[in-house]
Amino acid sequence: MSSMVRFTLDGREASAPEGELLVHAAARHGVFIPTLCHDDKLDPYGGCRMCVVGVEGSPRPLPACATRVAEGMVVSTNSNVPAFRKTLTEMLLAEHLDPNPGGRPNELTDLAADLDAEAPFILPDAKRKEYEDRNRLMGYTPDACILCNRCVRYTQEVMQCSALSLEGRGPHARIVPTWERSWLDTECELCGGCLSVCPTGAIFEKFLEGTEQPERELVKTKTTCTFCGVGCQLDLNVDPETNRIVKVTSEPHYVSNEGNLCVKGRFAFNFVHHPDRLTKPMVRREDGELHETSWEDALQVAADGLNRVKAEHGPQAIGFLASARLTMEENFLIQKLARSVVGTNSIHSCEAT
Amino acid sequence: MDNLGRIRREIGPVTPELSDALADHMNIRRGEVHEVVSFYSFLEVPADAVRVCIGPVCDCLGAKDLLAREQENANGVPVLGVECLGHCDIAPVLMRGDVVEPDVTRRTNTGSSLGLEQADQTLAEYEARGGLAVLRNLPAKEKIVEELKASGLTGYGGAGFPTGLKWEAVAKEPAPRYVVVNADEGEPGTIKDRYVMELRPHLMLEGTLIAMDFAEATEGFIYLREEYATARARLEQALEELRAAGVLDGRSLELVIGAGAYICGEETAMLESMEGRRGMPRLKPPFPSQVGYLGRPTLINNVETLAHIPAILRDGGEAWPRVRLWSVTGAVTAPGCYEAPLDVTPRQLIDDYAGGATEEIGAVVPGGAASGILPPAALDVPLTRESLREWNAGPGSAALQVFPASYSPLRLLAETMRFFAEESCQKCTPCRIGNRGMHHLVEELANGEAAMTREQAEEWLDAMAATSICGLGQGAPFPMRNAFTHWPELFEPLGEPAIK
Ligand SMILES: Cc1cc2nc3c(=O)[nH]c(=O)nc-3n(C[C@H](O)[C@H](O)[C@H](O)COP(=O)(O)O)c2cc1C
Ligand code: SF4
Ligand code: SF4
Ligand code: SF4
Ligand code: SF4
Ligand code: FES
Repeated sequence: MSSMVRFTLDGREASAPEGELLVHAAARHGVFIPTLCHDDKLDPYGGCRMCVVGVEGSPRPLPACATRVAEGMVVSTNSNVPAFRKTLTEMLLAEHLDPNPGGRPNELTDLAADLDAEAPFILPDAKRKEYEDRNRLMGYTPDACILCNRCVRYTQEVMQCSALSLEGRGPHARIVPTWERSWLDTECELCGGCLSVCPTGAIFEKFLEGTEQPERELVKTKTTCTFCGVGCQLDLNVDPETNRIVKVTSEPHYVSNEGNLCVKGRFAFNFVHHPDRLTKPMVRREDGELHETSWEDALQVAADGLNRVKAEHGPQAIGFLASARLTMEENFLIQKLARSVVGTNSIHSCEAT
Repeated sequence: MDNLGRIRREIGPVTPELSDALADHMNIRRGEVHEVVSFYSFLEVPADAVRVCIGPVCDCLGAKDLLAREQENANGVPVLGVECLGHCDIAPVLMRGDVVEPDVTRRTNTGSSLGLEQADQTLAEYEARGGLAVLRNLPAKEKIVEELKASGLTGYGGAGFPTGLKWEAVAKEPAPRYVVVNADEGEPGTIKDRYVMELRPHLMLEGTLIAMDFAEATEGFIYLREEYATARARLEQALEELRAAGVLDGRSLELVIGAGAYICGEETAMLESMEGRRGMPRLKPPFPSQVGYLGRPTLINNVETLAHIPAILRDGGEAWPRVRLWSVTGAVTAPGCYEAPLDVTPRQLIDDYAGGATEEIGAVVPGGAASGILPPAALDVPLTRESLREWNAGPGSAALQVFPASYSPLRLLAETMRFFAEESCQKCTPCRIGNRGMHHLVEELANGEAAMTREQAEEWLDAMAATSICGLGQGAPFPMRNAFTHWPELFEPLGEPAIK
């Protein structure tokens, strides 16, 4: 346990574990400090300056997302800070040409609405060089980007793919996949992690159904990814009108994956609505065709078949192949079935390859 | 950085393929090399490209025409406009590859500290003038700090932090420590460090070695801007001589060459660059004296600051004459680099040192892009930190730029804001966007149009000054605010100033 320190927040006594980021310490005391470039998964960056607060003894306000609480610190969030925040928002809007390229939420425009901030003009050089990617999962629109660098830092600090770069300097700065290639030609695995941390929706899901549908109106259902034994927790985002999954998201506080997903968990949900997907048990009868049936009957047919093989050729004629999508408990049951019920040691899982 | 610079010089401009090959060779991610390559202005430009300076002094002496002429006669060689090349004393100036045009001439004076009027060609010449005596007989640490404090020496890189305090702070941090010399001189109008390195390289190196001995640092680095080819050759020769004489035994002192990014002169951006990343400033605190190169305590000083150290320790801090080098350029008869007292006035520098003005003076800039823009009424103000504070300006890197009345203050302001916008590392919002916004505002004013109200402009400047990460964004509002005060008629389209 780290020791607790006392500090002053807007004139009130407060306490926090030593070294806690100011933004968190303030939040626990009910003071919400807006952030744009901060992400708990990433090292403090302090770039957007949206979170600056006054700290006694410092000649300038300090970023709450990168400043740690210390004993006796005197912090103010209500002096000249709100004015700065509004001006900084205006500045970001002055080069924010496309607030909604792909239907994802946009924290900047939300903040602008809260603060009643408007750009006094659009910068003459606001237009950035466009970028098109031939991959079918993720898109990116430079004109929506606020250069918070969250995506790039995610690729470097979390995913370690470094497939995105913060390119250039000054007015020419822009985010692009390595040397402006397609994501497909970089070290990208299309996990969508960079997308998930983007605060403005500049990086977005390409196949998102009904992009005009704002995310808030989607209904989230928390579930476990069925693709592999890691068991990532995720939210299926369902459009209540069509009852279809529109996209998959995950939250930083979910155990086991902390909001990270791989390409399968994030993007490979379209099988759910696929017309070829089997939703009822089927059995191949004598006519060679598949016929719908009940679970009871299907299991009986399978058991009969296994028993017949065992009777005719012995248990060693039977092998079990477990799917990589099974959990550890299910794998345990499979080998139990193989060893004690059927009596064979021939068990394999495709996860072994 | 070193590898990228070598690729550019030995193979050619860094292409995506070369960048990938280097990444694979060094076993780092390709994207991370791409980020670094694209940050610097010159890595993707051939080594023989023509670079025409479009800094403010060159601009007022016809750089745009020169650039247009060069572009017309390019013959396939890339021609680019670049920010201040540090040769404003021979403006307008260009570099063809490593060669400066017109020919370099240096005008300086008999100083009482640095003795720049007489160049040292060799280590022997330097030693004959008493060189290395201080290094060979170094006083105790406490004594060094005491003398530095007594001398009143403050950093001459621009920020003006008391050198004695900085040295004392570094010595208190745990070893191992590093020493870094800031030789990235890029502040528009500033030519002084180049004079020191070209004329008395051994002197600066002695100051550096004193700093290394003091900090018990066995490794030191000199971060030199790429454009200073002559200074580089002089330093390499001087280092070779010192090595041969055994003076470097037991320690290493290396040159690190930049690649065209003004912001790398900011000390924490420099450290990032030295560590092979984009030169984007770090958040302070912690300061480099606590957490610097590779996370270790690091003493960073400017070239000129270090060059004064031998004289201070030789004669004693009290006796040291309290001088600095002034780069005097623009509309003067004898532009050059002159040693003069700290409280010299612009008029004295112009008349007594630089041979007088060539034209009626319209404005002066006291010390670099962010130091402010002052009207002729300020010509008799001593250029000290204290007296300039009343003018909401500062001596910065002591680069007095003299602009003729025929050069419009609005143009000067536009060029200055364009410079900040281009050279912003882009990391923080107020600097990346604020400077572009101010540049836009000034350009619009030149057409008689107002892009925002005066009140909004002041809000933007306040946010830039208060919330920018480093000195670039924090300092950029000074020239704008000075212009509001001294040339109010230029800003009439914006309406009334906010009542504070
Ligand atoms: C934008 C910016 C550019 C700078 N450029 C230089 C430079 O070119 N040379 C230099 O010595 N210091 C420069 N500095 C100041 C350094 O950050 C640092 O203060 C200095 O190297 C410390 O040395 P000193 O104490 O000897 O001056 C710059 C600072 C800023 C904010
Ligand atoms: S999608 Fe995943 S793998 Fe691809 S760039 Fe983004 S974080 Fe990296
Ligand atoms: S793409 Fe998104 S996450 Fe990346 S820098 Fe731009 S706004 Fe930030
Ligand atoms: S998201 Fe990927 S890693 Fe996570 S459970 Fe699904 S398939 Fe496995
Ligand atoms: S003030 Fe400008 S140069 Fe400094 S960190 Fe911010 S963007 Fe970069
Ligand atoms: S959230 Fe703190 S600076 Fe961006």
